[in-house]
Amino acid sequence: MSYLEIPLPRLVVTLGLVALAILASRWKRLDLERDLAWGALRGAVQLLAIGHVLLLLFKHERPEWVALAISGMLGVAAATSARRVEHGPSARTLFPYALLAIVLGSVVALAPVFIFVVPLHPMYEARYLVPISGMMIASAMNVVAQVFERIFAAAHAHAGEIEQLLALGATPEQALARHVRASVRAAMIPTINSLLTVGLVALPGMMTGQIVSGTAPEQAVRYQIVILYQLVAVAAVSGVLAGEFGRRLLFTPHAQLRLPKRAPASDMRA
Amino acid sequence: MPSALEARDIRVIREGRTLVDGASLVVSYGEKVAIAGPSGSGKSTFLRAMATLIPIDSGHVLLDGVDAIALPPTRFRTRIAYLPQAPPMLPGTVADNVAAGPALRGETLAPERQIELLRAVGLDEAFLTRGANELSGGERQRVALARALANEPKVLLLDEPTAALDPETALQVIELVRSMATAGRGVVMVTHIAAHAEALSGRRYVFQAGKLVAVAEGP
Ligand SMILES: Nc1ncnc2c1ncn2[C@@H]1O[C@H](COP(=O)(O)OP(=O)(O)OP(=O)(O)O)[C@@H](O)[C@H]1O
Ligand SMILES: [Mg+2]
Repeated sequence: MSYLEIPLPRLVVTLGLVALAILASRWKRLDLERDLAWGALRGAVQLLAIGHVLLLLFKHERPEWVALAISGMLGVAAATSARRVEHGPSARTLFPYALLAIVLGSVVALAPVFIFVVPLHPMYEARYLVPISGMMIASAMNVVAQVFERIFAAAHAHAGEIEQLLALGATPEQALARHVRASVRAAMIPTINSLLTVGLVALPGMMTGQIVSGTAPEQAVRYQIVILYQLVAVAAVSGVLAGEFGRRLLFTPHAQLRLPKRAPASDMRA
Repeated sequence: MPSALEARDIRVIREGRTLVDGASLVVSYGEKVAIAGPSGSGKSTFLRAMATLIPIDSGHVLLDGVDAIALPPTRFRTRIAYLPQAPPMLPGTVADNVAAGPALRGETLAPERQIELLRAVGLDEAFLTRGANELSGGERQRVALARALANEPKVLLLDEPTAALDPETALQVIELVRSMATAGRGVVMVTHIAAHAEALSGRRYVFQAGKLVAVAEGP
């Protein structure tokens, strides 16, 4: 393959960019020095580790290892989107719902593509399955986190209105409809915006990567179109499911509004 | 008189505190009940429990002798009108608000009926097109009452409906509430204003230590 390799010493040079950000933080008293340093370190370690994991996966390509890798991604994504939801239930309560919303959204987007569009041989071909699943799972994670964040905040802020609707004979679906709609819409809009601006502002990461590593631009573009459409499906399915789950968590079986107790900030002891 | 709505031995416990401690109340059709009591004594909590809007820790709410648990919540709640202390307006116009109950069931409330309801609460039809969230506190209270009446409820549960009103308007609203009872509805009104409880001229209770204590028999 024809691409420029980055030797480690040159990689270290880019640390200067992080140092620059740290200096800016100190100068303007943004109080972000620690976050920047920790983030830079952690990001690099995670990526280097993943590089090795991918190497192993590609070399041995055993279905159970690929499944394990994807399960790990799903677990981290679900835990992240269930964490620190203000006015929401505990991370422990939200986790299974987050996981289900992310899994179903990802499966809906991935299965048809890997069966009909980019047929994999074998089905667990890690070089495609892992990175593309990763993109879908990450997007689902963001959508689910946003829907949860908004829906519980809205229920908290509009409790009086929701209860008044219930008192007038509304079902929980009706009483929360306005807020579910707003939450899911808001979570889907970034994905739709990225459809509208793609190529005009920035070239998407995967396409850039493929082009840099020597894929013909017209094929890279086709891959990117597939990815974008997959992301739309992920946002829709995971978003709608998260809205549905959020609503269920907000009402008792007797159609009473049940606002979660204010969760303590350090809720991730789960 | 047949019992319309009955609260039997209601207990509500929140965060380890017993807010309502075995309160019971029976309201019959055509009957008026006033509940007084100091701030924070649990009057609103009890009324919300009677409206089945909050989970209760023990006890029963019965509508026409049938446990509310056995009824679909939407059925129970269209028979009962519940007005919270400061009723929130729904987005939209006064007309949207007045027609909200029937709209939830896919029905449209005829404009004549909307006007009739507004007149019944002392407002005129010019209000129909006004934005509900621009109204004054007293106007909201009346629109909320009209909105609740659109469901043709059998029992009214009113939480401090006169607190936001000037004395004269307050007495008008009480007169209106009395006429609801005369028309055959059961009425429960929470008010901390003794004169308003008296003006309702029904049975009177005080909420004390989580229970209802009878004060005096009305005529
Ligand atoms: N969900 C809840 N969790 C914990 N405490 C609650 C809850 N709801 C009400 N309380 C508390 O219960 C007590 C009774 O409240 P309630 O609103 O029923 O009083 P009230 O008699 O209607 O008072 P007021 O006359 O001021 O309206 C208050 O101390 C209130 O803070
Ligand atoms: Mg009260």
